[in-house]
Amino acid sequence: MSRSFGDGALKRFALRDVTVDLFPGQLALLMGPSGSGKSTLLAVLSGLLPPDSGQVFAEDQGRTVDVWAMTDPEREQFRLRHTGFIFQGYNLFPALTALQQLEIVLKWGAGLDNAEARSRAEDMLKRLGLDQQKSKKPAQLSGGEKQRVAIGRALVKDPTFIFADEPTSALDWENGKVVLELLRAAAHSRQASIFVVSHDDRMKEYADVIYHLNEGRLEVEHNPAAPAPIHLPVEGFS
Amino acid sequence: MLPLSVSERGLGGEVCPNADGERSEYWRPAAGETSPPNPLHNPFAERTDYFPEDRRRVSYALQTLWHEKTRYAAGVGAVAFSAVLMVLQVGLLLGLFETTSIPVDHTSADIWVGSQDVRSVDLGVPIGVNLHMARLTGKSGLVGQPELYLANYANLTRPNGGMERCFILGSGLDPDAAGAADVLTPELKSALTMPDSIVIDESDLNRTGLTGLGDRIKINGVEVTLVGTVRGMKSLAAPWVMCSLTTARKILATYLQPDQTTYLLVRAESPQRAKEIVNELNAEYPEMQAHTADDFSFSCRWYWLTRTKAGIAIGYAALLGLLVGAVITAQTLYSATMASAREFATLLALGIPRKKIYGLVMEQSFWVGAAGIVVAWPVVYLLSLGAAAGGAKVVLRWEVLAGAAVLTILTALGSGLFALRSVRSIQPMSLLR
Ligand SMILES: Nc1ncnc2c1ncn2[C@@H]1O[C@H](COP(=O)(O)OP(=O)(O)OP(=O)(O)O)[C@@H](O)[C@H]1O
Ligand SMILES: [Mg+2]
Repeated sequence: MSRSFGDGALKRFALRDVTVDLFPGQLALLMGPSGSGKSTLLAVLSGLLPPDSGQVFAEDQGRTVDVWAMTDPEREQFRLRHTGFIFQGYNLFPALTALQQLEIVLKWGAGLDNAEARSRAEDMLKRLGLDQQKSKKPAQLSGGEKQRVAIGRALVKDPTFIFADEPTSALDWENGKVVLELLRAAAHSRQASIFVVSHDDRMKEYADVIYHLNEGRLEVEHNPAAPAPIHLPVEGFS
Repeated sequence: MLPLSVSERGLGGEVCPNADGERSEYWRPAAGETSPPNPLHNPFAERTDYFPEDRRRVSYALQTLWHEKTRYAAGVGAVAFSAVLMVLQVGLLLGLFETTSIPVDHTSADIWVGSQDVRSVDLGVPIGVNLHMARLTGKSGLVGQPELYLANYANLTRPNGGMERCFILGSGLDPDAAGAADVLTPELKSALTMPDSIVIDESDLNRTGLTGLGDRIKINGVEVTLVGTVRGMKSLAAPWVMCSLTTARKILATYLQPDQTTYLLVRAESPQRAKEIVNELNAEYPEMQAHTADDFSFSCRWYWLTRTKAGIAIGYAALLGLLVGAVITAQTLYSATMASAREFATLLALGIPRKKIYGLVMEQSFWVGAAGIVVAWPVVYLLSLGAAAGGAKVVLRWEVLAGAAVLTILTALGSGLFALRSVRSIQPMSLLR
């Protein structure tokens, strides 16, 4: 994939012919200096920013679909079904309790009824060790707790892919470790693909694969369990 | 490695050894869960109806409003302001236009029957006595016999020359006559039984050129004598002239046939029954119009309020108030939405349709309108008491209050629509930098 910003003389490539494979059950870490295109790559992979050239394939129930060949509503549905996001800030609604932050995704996204949304959200918070915090609003939660609620919001719909852009940048290392362990546990136990952007070297030990991005070019540094990618024929998304 | 497929994944609750063989203490199974049958199976996997309308979502909008009371206070205040402005202006003018319904307000009839579509007491055209009397007497729940009430404009010739329009009110004069104005003392009533005698309000003496009792004057060519004056029957356009049915019929002879009347008046055993009878009559006989006294009174004032320039003036003022309310409310909602832009962007990234967020903003705007009405009501009440103390009557009719409430809600919803522009501009990409 390639992606540039600007026109003419101002044109600048954020991604130059980059190829990435993400696999179920793996936590992939993307590192690189500021401005190297990490967030851009995450956005292109996750269906938020169209690439200039190149494709993003996802294998969905045995079929391969081209994310950027879909119509906008199709891509929205694809994201609804398959992707979870954790962003730098916590981005929690100040007026809602921890439980409601999760419920809103299930109710508005999946159309679950109140009872089902509540039980799923409670279940998720319990797993994240936030049982006691479920009726607190963001102002009453610590930074680490807030980020765990944000993780819960990303995980509660059980996504296939989880994208996290600097999820620990606002946290101290102790809380950052907790977040990474949670994400890795989610990858391993739920066979999700986790893609984490960070420039913190200490994260390396939690990653199954580490990518380095420099001036828009990608290198694989370490890939202990490198499975062979499987490419199925591309079909339409329905 | 298996192809990534939803149905084959997800042992959600399992405690899972991580790469180093330790157990993650932050990923624990739910209580009582032994071998999880995929408790967190993907709710999206089997669904084809991704966006069914959800049932109860009221709480999020209200909760946000309550949580950020100070932020929304400006919008609520603006909405309340425009509601107060509207109600007070209409109320004050209705108070001013009370003179137009004076004949109705000063008689003790419960039901007025007149010609088709009559909207103000001065607009009745002649109706047949026998036919309408028969229709009325067929109803149960009436008290006493229906009475005639002869009313119309007439031309008064002032003693020193010059013409003046006046309005004749000819009614029965028995001690318990429903049509006799309540300001008429028994002495005045008996004085009026003399042929060709009239009573007017003392404030109309100058206007009619009369100076005192016994003065004579011509109305529609009939010479009449002033036998008394009253207070409380002030007029706006044409002086009210009270007289007997006989005198009225003589004055209005070219206008009313002997078997005709302008209105039929009757009392009912209860206000509730009066309403029922009126509804029945109007349903059965569309070519005539029955009113309860209350409704007829309001109808007169409303007619003159909307027909004259005063109606247009308050229309403009109310519009201005609404505009101010709308602009401030829109601004409030706009900035509140922008303040939550990152949260909304996160939901959009997760694939939640934008229309859900539109719905939330519209619901918030509805509640801002509703809160504005709740705040406006006591203010209206207090200000109307204050105005009354200062001598200006504010009439608070439920029709006006309900109309103002509806307009206020519509204004708030309109502001909400305007604030949706901010939702349209929210992009999930803004979270990735
Ligand atoms: N919307 C945009 N318009 C123009 N240039 C952009 C835009 N988004 C990103 N860029 C440029 O693309 C390059 C890559 O940006 P990107 O946000 O991907 O970097 P990053 O690796 O995430 O940096 P950081 O670690 O600071 O977050 C940068 O030079 C940036 O200035
Ligand atoms: Mg970045």
